[in-house]
Amino acid sequence: MTALLRLVVVLLLSLAAVVAVSAQAQGNLRVALQLEPPNLDPTSGAAVAIDEVVYATIFEGLVRADTDGSIRPLLAESWTVSSDGLVHDFKLRGGVRFHDGRPLTEDDVIFSLLRISAKTSSNAQAQAFSRIAAVTSPAPGRVRIRLKAPDANFLTLLTLGDAVIVPRHAAKTLATDPIGTGPFRFADWRRGSDITLVRNPNYWGKPARLARLTFRFIADPSAAYAAVKAGDIDLFPDYPAPETFGQLRSDPRLKLTVGPTEGEVILSMNQRQGPLANLAVRRAIAHALDRRAIIDGAMFGYGVPIGSHFPPQSPDYIDLTGRYPHDVEAGRRLLAEAGYADGFTLRLKLPPQSYARRTGEIIAAQLAKLKIKVRIQNLEWPGWLDEVFARHDYDLTIVNHAEPFDYDIYGRTGYYFGYDSPAYRALLARLQTARDPATRHGLLAEIQRTLADDAVNGFLFQFPRLGVQDARLQDVWINTPNQAIDFATVSFGGAAGGDDASSDKSIASGGWGIPALLLLLIGVAAALWRFGLPYVASRLGSFAMTLVAATVVIFALIQVVPGDPAAYMMGLGATPQAIAALHAELGLTGSVPERYLAWVGGMLHGDFGISYVYRVPVAGLLADRFALSLPLAGLATALSILVGVSAGYWAALRRGSAVDVVISWLARLGIALPSFWLAMLLVLLFAVGLGWVEAGGFPGWSAGTGPALRALALPMVALALPQAAILARVTRASLLETLDEDYVRTARAKGLGRARAAFRHALPNALGPVLTVLGLQFPFLLAGGAIIENIFFLPGLGRLVIQAIAQRDLIVVQSVVVVLVAVTVLVSLLIDMLAAAIDPRLREGERR
Amino acid sequence: MTQRKTILAIGLAITGFFVAAALLALVWTPYDVAAVEIAGRLSPPSAAHWLGTDQYGRDMVSLLFAGATTSLGVSLLSVGAALFIGVPLGLYAAAKGGLIDGLIMRFGDLVFAFPSLMLAIILSALTGPGASNAIIAIAIFNIPVFARLTRGEARRVWTYDYIAAAQIAGKAAPRISFEHILPNIAGPLLVQATIQFALALIAEAGLSYVGLGVQSPQPSWGRMLAESQTLIGTAPQLAILPGAAILLAVFGLTLLGDGLGETLRGARGA
Repeated sequence: MTALLRLVVVLLLSLAAVVAVSAQAQGNLRVALQLEPPNLDPTSGAAVAIDEVVYATIFEGLVRADTDGSIRPLLAESWTVSSDGLVHDFKLRGGVRFHDGRPLTEDDVIFSLLRISAKTSSNAQAQAFSRIAAVTSPAPGRVRIRLKAPDANFLTLLTLGDAVIVPRHAAKTLATDPIGTGPFRFADWRRGSDITLVRNPNYWGKPARLARLTFRFIADPSAAYAAVKAGDIDLFPDYPAPETFGQLRSDPRLKLTVGPTEGEVILSMNQRQGPLANLAVRRAIAHALDRRAIIDGAMFGYGVPIGSHFPPQSPDYIDLTGRYPHDVEAGRRLLAEAGYADGFTLRLKLPPQSYARRTGEIIAAQLAKLKIKVRIQNLEWPGWLDEVFARHDYDLTIVNHAEPFDYDIYGRTGYYFGYDSPAYRALLARLQTARDPATRHGLLAEIQRTLADDAVNGFLFQFPRLGVQDARLQDVWINTPNQAIDFATVSFGGAAGGDDASSDKSIASGGWGIPALLLLLIGVAAALWRFGLPYVASRLGSFAMTLVAATVVIFALIQVVPGDPAAYMMGLGATPQAIAALHAELGLTGSVPERYLAWVGGMLHGDFGISYVYRVPVAGLLADRFALSLPLAGLATALSILVGVSAGYWAALRRGSAVDVVISWLARLGIALPSFWLAMLLVLLFAVGLGWVEAGGFPGWSAGTGPALRALALPMVALALPQAAILARVTRASLLETLDEDYVRTARAKGLGRARAAFRHALPNALGPVLTVLGLQFPFLLAGGAIIENIFFLPGLGRLVIQAIAQRDLIVVQSVVVVLVAVTVLVSLLIDMLAAAIDPRLREGERR
Repeated sequence: MTQRKTILAIGLAITGFFVAAALLALVWTPYDVAAVEIAGRLSPPSAAHWLGTDQYGRDMVSLLFAGATTSLGVSLLSVGAALFIGVPLGLYAAAKGGLIDGLIMRFGDLVFAFPSLMLAIILSALTGPGASNAIIAIAIFNIPVFARLTRGEARRVWTYDYIAAAQIAGKAAPRISFEHILPNIAGPLLVQATIQFALALIAEAGLSYVGLGVQSPQPSWGRMLAESQTLIGTAPQLAILPGAAILLAVFGLTLLGDGLGETLRGARGA
C-alpha cells in the first residue's frame, strides 16, 4: 500500500512539474484558421486557406485593395489605363527584393502574369485572367498588360491572391517553399499542426511589427472554443462556433467582431425534374422558410437574412426578403394548386460544415409543415462535391456560396442546381458590356429580382464572419474580397515585436527509423536464441502473410472509395483538362495491378509515395506523426499499467475487503467511461476552468520536453483511464487464479508473507493475460486515439488518416493503415514471445 | 454469494431500464424528436420538459429515450450479426481442424490487426454514414471474437465422451456441432455477448460522435454529445446527459456480464 501511495505521489508531482505556465512572447501572434492549406502557392489551386496564410504576408501583387475597396499601389508604384480600357501600364517599385535576396524584375512580373493566364494554368481565376492578351516590358521598370476586351474589374482582379508576383527562379517550389516579396517570410510547416512565418527584416516597406506569425488549424467548433477560452489563440478571424459567441462575450481578455462576408447561404434546389422543376413548388418552399428561426437556431442570431443571391453590404443590394414572407398557409395553398396537397419526399444532402448541418435540421422541420418529407443525408466534402456538385444526384442541399460576384453561376448551363433561364443569361450579357454605373446598378437590381421571382433557390442568410481576438491586439482588418488579413500592421498594443525569431523550428524526423530497426534486430536475435529457429520462423512467416493480406485488403478498399482526389484539390471551378493533368501528376494513371505493385514495391524500400494534398513524401508525414502518436500511446500505456496493474494487484491481495469492492466497482465504471467524453470533461476542467494546461495543440519536441509533455498530459489521461480499468480487472482475475495455485500455497505454507508470495511468485505468472491485453491496447491507443487527437487537435496518426480520407489523400490512407497493421502484428508477436519467455508453459502449448 | 447476486440484480435493473426505454421510444416519446421549436430552445428543466430542451428546442427526455433505441438497436444488431457469422465459423473450425481452421483463425488475426476506427471511417466513405454502416463496421470486429471463443470452447467439448458416443452413433459433424456442442457452450457465449454488447455500445457512441453513426433526425447519444459540446458553458446538461447515458448503459451491461459470468462459473461448480 505504501508503495502504491508513493507511486501515486510521484505521478502527481511529475504531472504538476509538467504543468507550469509558459510565458508568451508578445512579438509572436498565434492565429487560428479553420482549414489547413493544401500547399502554399496562391496562384494555383482554389483553396481560400492558401490566401489566408500567404496573401499580404509572403506574397504581394502589383496592387492591393484598401478597406473601402479602392485600389492602392503595392509592387506597382503607379499605373495608367488607356482610354479604351485595353492597355494597363504599370511602373514597378524600385529596390524590391525577394526573400532569397534576388531583386524583383520586370521579368518576374511578366512571368507571373503569363503563367496564370496560360491555357494550361491551374489558377482558380484562370478564366478571368484569360482576358490578358499580352504582357510586355516597354522600358526598364515598366510593365504593360494588354487585354482582349475592356474589363472594368481588371484592377480588382489583380488585388487577388491569385495574381501575386512570384519569383521566376523559384516558381516550381512555391507549393512547399514559398518565396515572395512580402513583410513575412516562410519559416516552417508542421503539416497537420501549424505554419510559422517570421518577419522579413529586409522588407521594402515599413517592416511588420510582429516578429513571428504562427497559424494553427482548428476546424472543430468545440476545439476552437476550448483553445480560445484557454488563451492558446490570439486571433481567430473566422471562428467556427457561433453558439459559444455569447459565452465569450463576457470574457474581458477577448474582443469579438462580427463582420460581413461575400458568402450567401442558400437552400439549393435541383430543378431539373420532379416537383422542384415546378415554380409554384419552389415558391411554396420559399414561403415555408422562416429565416429568423434559421438564423437564430443555426447561427445563434448571427447572419443577415437575404432574399436573393447578393450580399447586403454591397451598394447594389436590394432587399427582397419580403418577396416571400414566412407564411405556411400561403405555401400550402401553392402546393395544393400545383397538385401536391399531400406532399412528397425530398432528399436533403448536407456538406459537413456545422452551419449546413444545423440549418438542415431546421429546414427539414419547416418543410414538414408543408407535408414535404425531408430525408437528410450527411456527406463529407469530397462526397458532396461528387454527388451533389458534379453528378447532381440530390434534391436539396445547403451550402455557403462564398465567392464574390458569383451571381454569374445562375447563367451557367449544367451548374448543379440546373437553373436554365435565357432571360437571366441575357441580363448577364448586358451587364458584361455595361460601363455606366447607373445602368450597371439597374441591371444588378434586375438580376437580384429575377432570381427571387424564379425562386431559384431558398435564399437564407449572408454568412457572418465571427472574429475572436486578444483584446490587446491592434489594427486587425480583413481584406474582404481576398478574405486575407493584413498582418503587416497588426501589433499587441505598445509592446512591439520582441526577438527577431530566426531560429527556425524543424522536427528531426526520420530519426526514428534506425533505432527502431536496431531494436527489431535485437529482438529477433534474442528470440532466436531463446526459442530456436523453427518457432521464430513460423511466427515471422505468419507476420509476413498477414501484412501482405492487409496490403491487398486496404488497396482494394481504397480503389472503390468514391471521390476523386484531383477533383477535391481543384475545387468548384475545375476544368476536365486540369483534372486530367493533375491525375497524371499524382500517378493516378495505369492499371490497378500496376499501381498496387508500384505502391508495395516502393514501400519495400521505404518509399510510401507522395501525398496528393501536401505534395511531400508520405514517409516524412508518417515520421512526424509517429513522433507524437508513439510517445502518446507509450505514455498512456505506462499510465494505464501504473494505475491498472497496481489497482488490480491491490484488489486481488485484499480479496473481498472494502478496498477490493471499491476497486472492482470503479473498474466497472472506468470501462464504461467513453474516452472522448472524459477528454471533453478534462479539457473543461483543466484547460478552460483552471487554465493549468493548454486546451490542445502540440508545440513539437523541439520546443522542449516540458512543454511537449504538458501538451500530452490530458490526452494521455483520457486515453489511459478506460484502459487502466480493463487492466485492473484482468490483473485482479489473473492474480486470484495464480494465488490459488499449489506452488503459491506452498510458498505461503513455508512462511512467506502474503504480499511477498503474491509479488515474487504469483505476479510473474499472472502477467500472461495482462500482457495479452496490453498487446491489444497499445496498437489501439496508437491508432484509436484518433478521436482524442481530434478533441485536442494533436497532429497524430489518427488525425492524419481522418483528414486524409476527408481530402481523398488516399495514398496517405493506405500507407498509414498498412504501417499500423504492421505495428499491431509486430506488437502481438513481441507480446507472445515475451509471455512465452516469462511462462514456459505457453511455449510448449504453441509447439504442440 | 450476495455480492454476485447484487451485481446481477443491479446489472439487470439498469439494462432492463434502458431496454424498456428503447422499446418505449419505438412507439412513443413524450415529444416528437424531429419537431424543431427554435423559440423554446435551450430551456432549463421544467414541468413540461423534465430535462429541458436542446439547441433546436427538442425535448431532451424524448431525445435520450430515442437515443437508447439507436444505441441498443445498433449494438444488438451488430453483436447479433457477429454471433450469427462468428459462431458457425468457430464450430466449423473446431469440427474440421486443419487448413480450414488455420484459415479462419488467420482471418481473425487480419481483422484484429486493422485499426478499427479507421476501417469504419473508410467504410463510411465507401457508402456514406448511417446506421447500417455502423452495424457492419462493429460486426466485422466482433466476428473473430465469437469465432475464436466458439472454437476454443467447442474443441474442449469435442473431447467429451458423449460426443464420441454421438459420433459412433453415426451423427455427422454439423449435427453434433449444433445439437450437442452449441448448447454446451451457450453459457460462455452469452457472457461474451453481453461484454461485446457493452463494447459495441461504446463503439456506436464513438462512431456517432465523429458523425458516422445514424443520421438525423434519428437521435443518438454520441451525436448529441458532439453537437452540444460547445454549449457546455450555457447548457451543461446537454453535453453531460448523453455522456452519462452512455456511461450508465455500458456500466449496466458490464455488471450484467460480470453477474452472468460468476453465476455460470458457480453453476459449473468449478
